[in-house]
Amino acid sequence: MGRRGSASSSSSLESSNYPALSSRSSLYQHNRDLSTDLRLGLSIATSSQGNPSTPSESDWPPIKPFLKETLAAEENECNSATFFVKVYMEGIPIGRKLDLLAHDGYHNLIRTLDHMFNTTIIWAEMDGEHSEQYHVLTYEDKEGDWLMVGDVPWEMFLSSVRRLKITRADI
Amino acid sequence: MLRMASSFPEEVLEHVFSFIYDDKDRNAISMVCKSWYEIERWCRRRIFVGNCYAVSPPMVIRRFPEVRSVELKGKPHFADFNLVPEGWGGYVYPWIAAMATAYPWLEEIRLKRMVVTDEALELIAKSFKNFKVLVLSSCEGFSTDGLAAIAANCRNLKELDLRESEVDDLSGHWLSHFPDSYTSLVSLNISCLGSEVSFSALERLVGRCPNLRTLRLNRAVPLDRLANILCRAPQLVELGTGTYSAELQPDVFSSLAGAFSGCKELRSLSGFWDAVPGYLPAIYPICPSLTSLNLSYATIRSTDLTKLVSQCQSLQRLWVLDYIEDIGLEALAAFCKDLRELRVFPSEPFAQEPNVSLTEQGLVSVSEGCPKLHSVLYFCRQMTNDALATIARNRPNMTRFRLCIIEPRAPDYITLQPLDDGFGAIVEHCKDLQRLSMAGLLTDRVFEHIGNHAKKLEMLSVAFAGDSDLGLHHVLSGCENLRKLEIRDCPFGDKALLVNAAKLETMRSLWMSSCSVSFGACKLLGQKIPRLNVEVMDERGPPGSRPESCPVEKLYIYRTVAGPRFDMPGFVWTMDEDSALRLS
Repeated sequence: MGRRGSASSSSSLESSNYPALSSRSSLYQHNRDLSTDLRLGLSIATSSQGNPSTPSESDWPPIKPFLKETLAAEENECNSATFFVKVYMEGIPIGRKLDLLAHDGYHNLIRTLDHMFNTTIIWAEMDGEHSEQYHVLTYEDKEGDWLMVGDVPWEMFLSSVRRLKITRADI
Repeated sequence: MLRMASSFPEEVLEHVFSFIYDDKDRNAISMVCKSWYEIERWCRRRIFVGNCYAVSPPMVIRRFPEVRSVELKGKPHFADFNLVPEGWGGYVYPWIAAMATAYPWLEEIRLKRMVVTDEALELIAKSFKNFKVLVLSSCEGFSTDGLAAIAANCRNLKELDLRESEVDDLSGHWLSHFPDSYTSLVSLNISCLGSEVSFSALERLVGRCPNLRTLRLNRAVPLDRLANILCRAPQLVELGTGTYSAELQPDVFSSLAGAFSGCKELRSLSGFWDAVPGYLPAIYPICPSLTSLNLSYATIRSTDLTKLVSQCQSLQRLWVLDYIEDIGLEALAAFCKDLRELRVFPSEPFAQEPNVSLTEQGLVSVSEGCPKLHSVLYFCRQMTNDALATIARNRPNMTRFRLCIIEPRAPDYITLQPLDDGFGAIVEHCKDLQRLSMAGLLTDRVFEHIGNHAKKLEMLSVAFAGDSDLGLHHVLSGCENLRKLEIRDCPFGDKALLVNAAKLETMRSLWMSSCSVSFGACKLLGQKIPRLNVEVMDERGPPGSRPESCPVEKLYIYRTVAGPRFDMPGFVWTMDEDSALRLS
């Protein structure tokens, strides 16, 4: 049985090396004997492919064209009628995006944030009993300063806010 | 015993066979003996051709002369993701032309990923007098003119379903071509159409078809017209809304809510483009009886999504964007105990950073809370082996599991290990797994697990995985029931393919793109295996103009009894005996 066991790096494409190809009958091979596999030149060593390619946006991730188009359209629409800012909660690395223009004022905003982060947020106009666990909402303005949310009129807040942060209020 | 069987008159056997619908059973019957083969072929009414190039129209017609229903599939699955260039093939016209003469009583045509022209639609419209069902799933190549021909001529049409097809939308007037005397519509799906259809024609059509059960509208149907349509069809079982956005107006809301309440049979909802939370409560009254909810186009956030799904206690199928977040999936797990299928799509598929808090935890929660969950498609940005193992242990009844991690080759984000063991757990525990799509950093080991355990696996999708040919070898040699294998961007080359060449004839098809299969190996396969079509796709030019060892861009191999096809575009070469000789 001549040429089997030749060096794996240069296995020639002779059909005699591949029993499945050397006859015209199509017998399904159940042979999974690893030693045979090795004799046939299969290598377990990794064959480096060079730098793995990064896929292009046209075919990755695998979502269908209709969904892609709908989402792209959403994003374009968003830019005109929305104002998204990131909201970070202390202790959670992933920031959430929030559309400030979807709210008509601080009350609405706080209600959404309470829900989103499952907590009670203290801000300027809150009164009454505070529970042990509450959070404070601050925002970063254009100058990079961090301020308490609720001190200025809503419209003024919208024009200067860049990001929001929710931190535990340790007394 | 043999004598008893042959003493049954043909009519008796035929009558018995008429209760057998499943293709596999029919095929089994036809192999019992020659006379059963003959009787069966004359009374087979439905055929399914999973790959339109596996057989030719004349061959089908010769064997089955009395067919009433045909289902054909064309392009490979990866065509959905732009991996198959324009012009590849999958033309239905030759089939329609052949069937126009052979099957004048044809009633149903179902096509998937095929090129359908207006000529083909016109031929359908005038050739089949009793035509009832046309389903065009992910098809392309036709315009609303072709639809007008169908509407005008098919008097007995019951079903017109254009799901996800690309239609050249010339005008909305095609709908008006249904004559006033036409009342037999049962199912209409025009959700893929871009432009407006005539609303008055739509309302009149809906109003005069008392058996209408399924209506999937397109985005162009505004929300304030929906109530009118619903009031004319309170018997609807499945509805796809148009755009679900409008200024919040109490009278619009109340008529909508009233219309929905009147639809006591409504079980499935979809559409919801541009959904505005303020109008969601209009569907609350019917939520408890919904079994299927498709919110893939609804960009509403987790608070509203959670509130919505929490009311759908009968839900069996949910398709939703990742805006639902882990918290919404926890609610799903808590309230929707009958859930069978979950699909979560990415709202920002191209963003580097996560925009929502949807992680592996959401899927784990659903796997814990929903005992009937067996079909999953989940896009996320992080995964762990532990989570996958937990899901596998929770849901050994899983039959379809497709995971996509947005970042290719992403490891277990906690241990930084490959996800081999996680997917290994999936195939070990889920013994009835039929379909698997993997994600993340994967070595040859995961393929070893698959080859060892995934004995019922029929379809496998692999991307950016594996180290060597051994990976592919494990799958091809171990997965006894494998029918469809699609691979992209994996370091698989010639050896595993050539060693397992015989396996390829037992499968419907193999797709490999951006792998390392050489032109020489493709030629060898094409020459040596008689009933395989080995097609090389390369947009760089003829493969013969490069060295034989040069890897091909894309490779599509499928079994066929029809020989090589001749409708290929310039960038596809077939590797059969004759053409291989011509190429080299």
